[in-house]
Amino acid sequence: MATTTHKHPPYIMIWIYLAVLTALELGLAFEFARNWTFGLKLTLLMILAIWKALLVALYFMHLKFEKWNLRLVALFPLPLTLILLAAGMSEHIW
Amino acid sequence: MSHAMAVGQGGPMDPPFPAERGVDVYNKKLGMWVFLASEVMFFAALIGSYIILRFGAPGPWALPGVVLNIKITAFNTFLLICSSVSMVKAYAAVSDGDVGKMKFWLLMTILGGACFVGIQVFEYIHLVERGFVPAGVREGSELAEMVAKGELPGATMGLYGSTFFTMTGFHGFHVTCGVISMLFLYLTKALPGKYTQQDHAGIEVVGLYWHFVDLVWIILFTIVYLI
Amino acid sequence: MTTVAASPHTGHAHHDDRSFVTKYIFSTDHKIIGIQFLFLSLFFLLVGGILAMQIRWQLGFPGKPMPGGGILPQTMAPGGVILPEYYLQLVTMHGTFMVFFAIMLLLVGVYANFIIPLKLGAHDMAFPRINMASFWSAFISGILMLSSMFVADGAPRAGWTMYVPLSARHDYSGVGFGQELWSISIIFFGLSSVLGSLNYITTVINNRAPGMTWFRMPLSVWALFITAVLGLLAVPVLAGAAIMLLFEQVLGTHFFDPSAGGQVLLWQHLFWFFGHPEVYILILPAMGLVSELIANGSRKPIFGYHSMVFAIVGIAFLSWIVWGHHMFVSGMNPTLGSSFMVTTLLIAVPTAIKVFNWLSTMWRGNLRFHTPMLHAIGFVTMFTIGGLSGIFMAATPVDMFIHDTYFIVAHIHYVLFGGSLFAIFGSIVFWFPKMFGRMMNEGLGKLHFWLTFIFFNTTFFPMHMIGMAGHMRRLYDPTIYEFLRPVQPLNVFISVNAFLLFAAQIIFFVNFWWSMFKGEKASQNPWEDNGLEWTLPNPAPHGNWETPPTVYRGPYEFSAPGVTEDYLPQNRKLPTDREPALSPAGH
Repeated sequence: MATTTHKHPPYIMIWIYLAVLTALELGLAFEFARNWTFGLKLTLLMILAIWKALLVALYFMHLKFEKWNLRLVALFPLPLTLILLAAGMSEHIW
Repeated sequence: MSHAMAVGQGGPMDPPFPAERGVDVYNKKLGMWVFLASEVMFFAALIGSYIILRFGAPGPWALPGVVLNIKITAFNTFLLICSSVSMVKAYAAVSDGDVGKMKFWLLMTILGGACFVGIQVFEYIHLVERGFVPAGVREGSELAEMVAKGELPGATMGLYGSTFFTMTGFHGFHVTCGVISMLFLYLTKALPGKYTQQDHAGIEVVGLYWHFVDLVWIILFTIVYLI
Repeated sequence: MTTVAASPHTGHAHHDDRSFVTKYIFSTDHKIIGIQFLFLSLFFLLVGGILAMQIRWQLGFPGKPMPGGGILPQTMAPGGVILPEYYLQLVTMHGTFMVFFAIMLLLVGVYANFIIPLKLGAHDMAFPRINMASFWSAFISGILMLSSMFVADGAPRAGWTMYVPLSARHDYSGVGFGQELWSISIIFFGLSSVLGSLNYITTVINNRAPGMTWFRMPLSVWALFITAVLGLLAVPVLAGAAIMLLFEQVLGTHFFDPSAGGQVLLWQHLFWFFGHPEVYILILPAMGLVSELIANGSRKPIFGYHSMVFAIVGIAFLSWIVWGHHMFVSGMNPTLGSSFMVTTLLIAVPTAIKVFNWLSTMWRGNLRFHTPMLHAIGFVTMFTIGGLSGIFMAATPVDMFIHDTYFIVAHIHYVLFGGSLFAIFGSIVFWFPKMFGRMMNEGLGKLHFWLTFIFFNTTFFPMHMIGMAGHMRRLYDPTIYEFLRPVQPLNVFISVNAFLLFAAQIIFFVNFWWSMFKGEKASQNPWEDNGLEWTLPNPAPHGNWETPPTVYRGPYEFSAPGVTEDYLPQNRKLPTDREPALSPAGH
């Protein structure tokens, strides 16, 4: 299919979404989570960061509306990244 | 040869025709996605090294906000996100046929990107003045005193400096390349009116690169500045 | 040739008004770029070979003045006697030049560029100017790497694997700016490689001629495509690591510095995460090319085409999870070591499938022992030996003893020389008419093959034995060790045969250059092959086809029923063939 002629996704809404998530991250890092454990903060911050990244990838980069094979090109490096990380970190888990 | 055909009927933004069915997007777009896959691996090496080094670090890491300036960087993050929005609005404008709006939003994106780089340079200068360098903490500096007083963990400051400057430096390098490319396209293609509803491949492709750069920053901001 | 609906991409085969500079120097034509890579890489093959000769002199005749060594500077080889500092540079640069600038450029730079558009029926690569940039980045990279040998204190000495901290600290290695030049050169090489990969991938996905479905692509194109995917994703990790190494060298960073919390093993993990897919980059294209040569020489379809494709994909997939077998003795997490042992043993399976399929292709074929076929058979046999020694190393307990010995060196050279280089020699002869319009001399070709084959085995097979005896790698003077004295005569034997092996390459060199200008003019399809490239004149014109050919069948229809010749090109339409379903843009 050629470049799309469908209605555009609501970019301004996504922008507001991103701003809110960023504010949440900042709050989590410095304001309302002072007594939470490092592990919990880390997990929540990573979830927020990945959520924001997905919004950019799926809507701004249009991946939500592309064919599965183009999405495969985009996603292919991710398992490799995880493998590298897993191996490198496994040196320190014992 | 110009083809005054609408998108979807054999124009420049359609898959090469006649040809076997590929991924149903034109070459430049596929090429950019393939390139971005390699960039993911590049940043994976740098960011992955940071994670591995920090995970295996011999002592605690500096607390967020002590060395780095969160207020300015948070603003910078917001700025980059805004420039990503303006980029996608430029693309939406030209694919709906509004070339004037596309030029405006593209210019906003370039300005946003340039400001991001400028603010980062300013941040770097400030950090170096305080004594934060790629090798860690410079002797005799303000940060060195904080290490001596125990306010900063001396054992990991070397790693902190090395990883911080490498990751953000290469991200900044990628942003700069993006700004220069967009400026080049703006001056040579957008302003002279060479982008149309039927052929705006350059906008879409440079847009993909720009969003990627924003995406990497979203990850970097969180794991470098906030953790 | 069929004509197709008017496309914006009509060929420019008829009107060529390019200047000499744009035609031959800053060319965007994939065939010229392929030939440029050929000259560049053959030059570096020679450089690597000359370095190897010096290594063998030192190992065979330690401490003796080398003939011609007088031209070397006094700091490296006073009176022609190689110093340890210089010896370490030799082994480092031999590895670096051969891996990156000879084999990678010969297999990928030359053949991906030259073959892919021709075998797919495309006019050129998807991005011709990026293709040109890829060549010139590789050129710059080569110049930088070469210059590292000529700066003060010479080239790096840490081995081509550049382990830290030796490679990161000038005070440990004694090297000066040469160290930084290696890192910078590799960064440029990485750029060249990534630009090339994205071109090959896009072209194979999107620019196939009508009828050229995925499972009608020749195996050489499949192999080059999968190689490009490996390169796309592995080389950036090397680039990142090289950047970190450069920063360690010049900015005083502490990534790999244990005294500041850095990790030495981090380098090894990053390097080998790249390094293992890299060695598959060095062999997969050779396997693909060999499939073409064997099918042609056997006048039979490749046995098990689909399993060959899946084997290539399987090898590539597994190659990402075996890298730790280079690090069994590094002190890494032992559980990790065990997992890597399992995956490494597994990767032998798809590789073996390919070997059996080549043998089955030849079985009861109407064999033609032309020079390319000889080299292809040489590949299969020598690569099998190299692969079998790989099984030894895959087993961690065995590797504990043979790691960093000459057993490993033997393995490397059986797969890279016995494997990749034989495939390259065969391919150069095979596609020479397509590149230059002339045939290489068959008599000289056969002589070169046999001498190379014999001296290759007499040079490298004994390395298995001295390796088992404990002979270490990168060892300046084996005679200082009592336990190695009994194998020193083998070292002399190896060195003498190595010199003869090098001398035999003169035959190839002469054949190559003489044939380019005075060789017998080639007919259009001198090997009676099925590939689309043989439907074009020799040498192929700029833009290849005016209109893309239409493909009706797979690439290995040799000895097909219903036609008088024993080959059947992909684009020849028989009365029983149907037109392929084209994909119009507005579906």
